[in-house]
Amino acid sequence: MSRKPLVELQDVRKKIGRKEIIHGLSFNIYGGEVFGFLGPNGAGKTTTIRMMVGLMKLSGGKILINGKNIQTEYKQAVSNVGAIVENPEMYKFLTGYQNLIHYSRMVKGVSKSRIAEMVELVGLTDRIHEKVKTYSLGMRQRLGLAQALLHSPSVLILDEPTNGLDPAGIREIRHYLRELAEKEGIAVIVSSHLLSEMEIMCDRIAIIQHGKLIGVQSTKEFVESGSTRKVRFLVDEVAAARHAVSHHVKDERMTLGNGYIEAEMERDLIPEVTATLVVEGIKVYGISSETKTLEDKFLEVTGGKEVV
Amino acid sequence: MSNFIGLIRNENMKIYRRIANLIMLALLIGFIGLNGIITKTEKSAPVKDNWKQELKAENASMEKTMKKEPMMKEHYERLIAINEYRISQGIKPQENKNQWKFVSDSPDAIQFILIFTIIIAGGMVASEFSWGTIKLLLIRPVSRTTILASKYISTLLYALLMIVITFVISWLLGGVLFGFEGSPRSFLSYTDGKVVEENLIWHMWKEYGFASIMLLMMATFAFMMSTVFRNSSLAIGFSIFLSLSGTLIVQFFSSYDWVKYILFANVNLKQYFDGTPFIKGMTLNFSLTVLAVYFLVFIALTWIVFKKRDVAA
Repeated sequence: MSRKPLVELQDVRKKIGRKEIIHGLSFNIYGGEVFGFLGPNGAGKTTTIRMMVGLMKLSGGKILINGKNIQTEYKQAVSNVGAIVENPEMYKFLTGYQNLIHYSRMVKGVSKSRIAEMVELVGLTDRIHEKVKTYSLGMRQRLGLAQALLHSPSVLILDEPTNGLDPAGIREIRHYLRELAEKEGIAVIVSSHLLSEMEIMCDRIAIIQHGKLIGVQSTKEFVESGSTRKVRFLVDEVAAARHAVSHHVKDERMTLGNGYIEAEMERDLIPEVTATLVVEGIKVYGISSETKTLEDKFLEVTGGKEVV
Repeated sequence: MSNFIGLIRNENMKIYRRIANLIMLALLIGFIGLNGIITKTEKSAPVKDNWKQELKAENASMEKTMKKEPMMKEHYERLIAINEYRISQGIKPQENKNQWKFVSDSPDAIQFILIFTIIIAGGMVASEFSWGTIKLLLIRPVSRTTILASKYISTLLYALLMIVITFVISWLLGGVLFGFEGSPRSFLSYTDGKVVEENLIWHMWKEYGFASIMLLMMATFAFMMSTVFRNSSLAIGFSIFLSLSGTLIVQFFSSYDWVKYILFANVNLKQYFDGTPFIKGMTLNFSLTVLAVYFLVFIALTWIVFKKRDVAA
């Protein structure tokens, strides 16, 4: 993974009327990573994406794409960007191919073979000469992706990329986005409300709420960070086990069951507790730890409100 | 530059690949066809050998009516002068049915072209917003100014194409219905109390030219409405309403001095070449200045709004 940021947000602010809806977002996105953009509805995700592609002006701060300021060096900056903003809306009365021709005329150096390659890649070869109005939402999504990748951008921004796709399609897109990031070093930025999706797809996640950045973390760290988890030990003597575990964990954080004991503890504590159990001569048949999903964590962080 | 031609091709593709717009083209051709059939079947008296006596009699009767209706004085003076010119120069009045006469009547179709152009102009920017495609259109390495210019020029090219089609179809249909003729006859126009002989085709292009001023102004107006309000129905409806009621508005306020600053009082430049100005004291330069100011205001508003707008739709 290269460490040169492809997208830099520096104290980005947006005011609409007198109301500030984005209060100073700062973070970097690097080539080769899939970056998730997460937040409840109305948190300012789409507004931020619109500012990144130049559809909206910034009220403060700046956004650099490949070192170029999106406001003052718009053409150079945006020529590195491919995007789908919200739904992939295409000209419905044109064919898929005509739509791609349309966008290819707006950038330099997109050949017919490049278009064919993209069509092949998103699996629309059979239907590309049909009108877009006959396409399913999933097909439009694929056409949107082809459109965004035509000019080989180094930054790919996708708003809700798996929206309207069937599970097979979702897996395909996920696989493809990962490949783009890993093999071609593209910075892929996705926003999604499907938290479980983000968990599998993204390397790092930024959470925003009420126009503020709550945190940027790697997906793994994010799920595992700091907080305690429930660990279940399958033991032969529950009462003895309780005594052994109580050296490390307070009583109120333990629950006893039939043939098992559950205790809340940090990850680092698990080996120590296990060692104590063994030293005390208790037979341990199994240890399982309940990992928090991104969803639990997200609800925890954002206060569990307005999540759609 | 090749980039810009690409943008124009894009806009053209979006105009001509839509069924609704092709239907408008069919309607225009249908109108010319209908006009041809009506002209063909219409009965008209052949020009007799004693046409000089007939014109004299016509002049005598017109002079009588002219005294009774002083309001119409200028109108009759013109007809009488043309008739006298025919008698003195021996130019036989033409029969209505011939190819070039049919072609030279084709500027009538500009009413349709005006409405169709307003429909195209009114949808040009607003439709991109209602389709949602504006978001994909404006994230390319092309400035908003360039995109707007390509849309505006494509609108004007559409109007131009309509005029060319009207001319070509009229010429073809006129030839088929009335027989092809080589060179057109001359047309008599009356300016500053004098009769002037003109080439009929030159006269026709002048008619197109005068009508195109209205076309240009209203297309620009509809384009502005489309950009500012992002609502094609509003842009089209309001522009057509103004086009139809423009003359009425001018008449309604004709007692006020400021009426001469209204767009529609200036849009008909023909008043300075053939006939008398609508309001005494108005000159060609005055009207050209007023038109230029309106035009620049329309363009500037369109450009500023399009350039500055946050796309949130």
